[in-house]
Formats: sequence, C-alpha cells, structure tokens
Amino acid sequence: MQQHSDTFLDNASAALKNSGQAQRRDFFALFAPLVRSAAVAEFEGFEQLRKHIKQVRQHSLDNLEHYLSQFEQEAVHNGNHVHFARDGGELNSLVLDICQQNGARRIAKGKSMVTEETGLNSFLQRAGLDVMETDLGEYIIQQAGETPSHIVGPALHKSAAEIRELFLHKHDLGPRELPQTEDLVGEARQVLREHFLKAELGIIGANALIAENGYSMLVTNEGNGDLCANLPRVMVVCTTIDRVLPRAQDATAMQRLLVRSATGQAQTCYTSFYSGPRRESDIDGPLEVHFVLLDNRRSDILGSDYREILECIRCGACLNHCPIYAAVGGHAYGWVYPGPVGSVLTPLLTSLEQSHALPNACTSCGRCAEVCPANIPLPDLLRDLRHEENKSKLSAPRWRYGLKLHAWLARHPPLYQALTGVAVRILHLLGRRRGSFARLPFADGWTSERHFPAPQERTFMQLYKARMTPRDER
Amino acid sequence: MSDSARAEIFARLRATSRGDSAESIAREYRSLGKAPSPALPAPELCQAFLVNVLKNKGSVDCVGNRAEAVKVIGHYLYTHFRSHRLVAGNDPRLAAMPWRDAGVLPRFGSLEAGESAALSYARLGVAENGAVVTWTGKANPAANNLLPEHHIVLVDSADLVATLEEAWERINSDMATNGRPRGINFIAGPSSTADIEGQLVYGAHGPRKWHVILLGKVPPDTLELAHAAAS
Repeated sequence: MQQHSDTFLDNASAALKNSGQAQRRDFFALFAPLVRSAAVAEFEGFEQLRKHIKQVRQHSLDNLEHYLSQFEQEAVHNGNHVHFARDGGELNSLVLDICQQNGARRIAKGKSMVTEETGLNSFLQRAGLDVMETDLGEYIIQQAGETPSHIVGPALHKSAAEIRELFLHKHDLGPRELPQTEDLVGEARQVLREHFLKAELGIIGANALIAENGYSMLVTNEGNGDLCANLPRVMVVCTTIDRVLPRAQDATAMQRLLVRSATGQAQTCYTSFYSGPRRESDIDGPLEVHFVLLDNRRSDILGSDYREILECIRCGACLNHCPIYAAVGGHAYGWVYPGPVGSVLTPLLTSLEQSHALPNACTSCGRCAEVCPANIPLPDLLRDLRHEENKSKLSAPRWRYGLKLHAWLARHPPLYQALTGVAVRILHLLGRRRGSFARLPFADGWTSERHFPAPQERTFMQLYKARMTPRDER
Repeated sequence: MSDSARAEIFARLRATSRGDSAESIAREYRSLGKAPSPALPAPELCQAFLVNVLKNKGSVDCVGNRAEAVKVIGHYLYTHFRSHRLVAGNDPRLAAMPWRDAGVLPRFGSLEAGESAALSYARLGVAENGAVVTWTGKANPAANNLLPEHHIVLVDSADLVATLEEAWERINSDMATNGRPRGINFIAGPSSTADIEGQLVYGAHGPRKWHVILLGKVPPDTLELAHAAAS
C-alpha cells in the first residue's frame, strides 16, 4: 500500500476540518470503550488472562523457530503447500503464481491486514484478476477506492448516506431507495453471494497458526471468511510468521481477550479452524490449500528492543482509546496500521524517515497501554522511537535545539527553578484579572480551542519547599 | 524463490530464538499453567449455555427426546416459512429421527440455491460463550452452516462442556481416532456486521436467524430461568 505518513501533520489538519467524520469518530470514541469495559468486567479474572496470554506469546516468540517449523511440518502433513515470503513483493508473486497455476480468475477475499500491507489486491488486479473483498467494510472501501481507517472496522469513517450513494452508483440493480442500514447490508449480501458462488479461489488471513496440529484460526462475525474458505476450489491463507501458538486452546484463550477488547462481545459469531484440503470422505471444501507466511522485517523486530509489538493481537482497542486517533482518524497516519500500534509498527515495517511524525502523535496519556490485551508498553515504545528520531536528526532543527536547551536546563535545577519561578510570576501577574489567557505567543494551536489557565503565584517546587520546611524555620 | 526465502527466514529466527531443546521448551510451556475462563452466568451447565446462546442473539428450545425435537423443528419451520422444507447433513443421528411424526421430510445433503433452512447436529456446546461446535464432513457440509437464511442446531445436553479447554479435550480425543477434520467451526450467533456506522445488522452473509435446540436431560424450568437471566 502506498504510504503518506510523511505528511501526517497536513493529513491530520485536513481530517480535523471534515466535521461529519470527526463527529462519527467522537461518537465511536465514547461508545467503543464502554462496550469493552462492560465485557471485561463481566469476565472477572481478565487481568489474570492477560498475564497468562502474555506469557504464552512470549514463550512462542522466544521459541519461534521451534514452533514455526512444527507448524510447517504439521501443515504439510495435513496436505497443505507452505510457502515463505521475505517481503510483500514475494507474497504477492507467490499468490499470483498460485492463481495462475490453477487458472483462477475470480478471487473472493476475506479480511486481511497483511495483504493490505503488501498491496495484494492491486497487484492481482494489474495481472487481470477479478478480486473482490467480501468483508462488508472492506467491500465498501474497495468500491470507493479508499483504504481502511480502522483495523477492525475499515469503513467506519463513512456515513450510511455516503455508502448508499456508492451502492446506487456501483451496483447496476435498477431503481431502488435503500432507506435503512439493513437494506444496504442486504444489497451487499446479494452482490457478494453471487461472487462467492462463482469464485475459483479464496484468500483469507489467520488470527493464529497452531503448531501442534497445523490448523489456522479465523475469527469473523459476518462469516465471509468462512465462505472464502469453504466454497472456492482453491484456498490461500496469507499471514505472518509471528502468529504461531503452541496449542489450539492457546488460540481460543487468546480469543477471549481479542473479542472482548475489539467489540465487547464474549464471542464472535464464527471462530473456525481449518486444517487443509478436502478429506476423502468430505463432500465439500477446497481441493488445494496454500499457506503463504510473510516475514517483512518481523524477524528483525524479533531481534530488536521492539519485539513486544509482535505480541499485538490486532483488536484495535488502542485505536479506540487513543485521543489522537479519535481526533484525526485512521487515514491521517498514512499507511495500513493507524493509532498507537500503527505509530510503532509503521516506522518498523517501513522506515522511520518516512514516518517519524507518527511516534509524536501521542499525548503520553497511557490509555493504550492500560487497555492493550497483550500488555504491550506502547507509550514506552513510542518514546523510544522518538528518541531514535532525535538521535538520527529526523525532527526539525528547532525541535532538536529546543529539546537540547530543555535537557540542559533540567540538569541545572537551581537555574531551572529560578527561570520557571520568574515565568510563573509574570504569567500570574498578566492573567490575574481574567484568570486565564485566550491567546499565548508560540501556542496559537493550543489556545485556538481553549483558554490557558493563569498559574498560581508560585511554582510547584516553591510550594513544595515551603511545605517541607519545619514551621519554626519559616 | 520460496526455498531460499524459507532458509533465510529460518536462519534469522535461529539467531533470535533461544535454541532450547524440544524437551525444555515443552517443560517451560507446561509451567505456564492454564488460562482462566470467564465466569458462567449460572452454576448449572444447561442453563449457563442457554443464557449465553440468548445473549448471542440466538433463539432456544429445550426438548426431552427426539420425538419432541422433531415436533419443535416442524413447528419452527411452519412458523417462519409456512412449509416443512429442511436440509440436513448425512448425520446418522439425524437420519434416525422420527421425521414423519411431525410431517417434516428433510433432504439429506448440502444446501442448494433456493433452500432457506438447514439443520446441523452439533458435536459440542460450550457454556462459557454459548457456541455450538461442528466439524466438516459428510455429516455436516459447511454450506449448511454458512449459507441458509435460518440455521437450526441440535445439541445433546450430554455434549455440553463448560470451557473452551474442555471442548478441545473432546475434539482432540475425537481426532485421535477419526483423524483431523478439514474444518472445525465454533458458531455463536447469526451472521452479523456493524461495519456501517457501527450499527448491528444480522444476516451479513450467512444465517439471519440461529435457533438452538437443547436435547436430552435438562433440569426442569431451565428454559424459563435462562430467559429470565438473559434479559
């Protein structure tokens, strides 16, 4: 997928001006945390589960060579073809080869962030294949020629009215009105059902790979991924090498975290495990199944200080709880993965040069780390990336010099305290009458939305010292 | 391409993996213990399962024996479709049911265009999340789970388990004798989507309605208690 992370600040400014989308994001940012916390409370012992899965994921990544080769062995034993791809380009060519070898022209595709990462759709389409996304959200943005704005709800940035216009324009189904959301869903169902029944090849992602038995786990609410996995005569599973878990019950235990964190459900409608092609006694299912396992720098991340980001289970909770994501939306981040997880992953999977604005899209509020089911210290990883940005001199010189000056001052406490004492006193005197400032020099952006409260007469350190001094010495 | 990619990726992983022996990896894995499971909505298994099925937006029935099951299915079909047409997999347990008593004549096989209702006989029901478990094969074609407008599922009360871990114990022991099925499906509700403005709509691709019938020994008043607890 084409990257626009280098213009994050411009993208964000533009997003703030689209009031319809901003309103939908505001609503979603209130609603999503509520359903999550209700589901977590009902579970009881959620914290314990989080700890357990963290240990299992760490253990799996510590021994990834062992578990990945066990998975490969079992998957081959189940009758699958297992392929490895170093980068997105290799994954795309492997999938195209499989399509061409099987004479498949019509492709039904389930939701997969990995194939968004590699830009598989446009690659296959350029080769003349008819690729249709079948997850409703992915289908909508494919028809609109857009990219996902959220890793779980890719089309949540669009209004029902926009989707209605889109369907009336794209589907040649005669005069009709589609007044309700149900009508929109019904029309997509009808169009996609036809495609499913004709598709020669299905592509799905995987939420986990099971080392002990070579199954892959697929989690959906719509059931579209399962149609891709069961109806066409060839199936291709595209996922990454870090998705392996030792046993099947680890995958369903992880799912307890995933679903509650993503949508506040106790269980998705469909959780499916697929082992490979049709067995002798089966009357349906694909005749041929391929796994394409992508690295794309994940083995580098595994050996780096950022390895915990590989424990991400793609629930989207950090997006739903991030004030920056709520303000600017997913498209501003300019690549596949938005929000806190995206601000860590994008620099690591692409380059810090192209995306160094993203780790700065953080208020260090810590909500993402609080809700992350994988217990990933996202604010710490973002801070480390900002540190690297500064070291590699990627940020603007005035920022770097400003930081240097601040660091120098912070290391000279008497001077720091004296200067802040003077500044606070001046602000206090200036703002005494109104109690706040409507405008401040160098902080136009901040004061454009709110007033800056005038400080009390003394700094924290001055008050603290006064309080700690014994009464008789004052 | 793939062979050299494989070799390169595994070489990189070798550099980051701890390189412990299979035995010590297995030992460490065992030391991690078990995952906690969620609190059940009722202490009794049948009731807990039914409460969660209802929460998953399924409808439920309880019957004591197969004759009653057939009647309940006939009634369900007539209420929703004014007909008794039904598709069911080639499950010997389904073939042996007294269908004629309720005037239902199922077609045994895989769902085809124009057919609206399908019946599956689940292998398991999971109380912790109200899911039914089926696996693919002659007895349960995948199309019957995924393509009908209404999906009716029978579950034996003897096949209820409390947790997903217990479900895997049962699945693994079945695999040990019958081999690995192609697909194992945990189904917990009618097909749904919230992709348009977060608004929940049923019947995204698959069934719009999901009806679960619990068959066998069920404590009295379970159905009423489950309805009360779910609402």
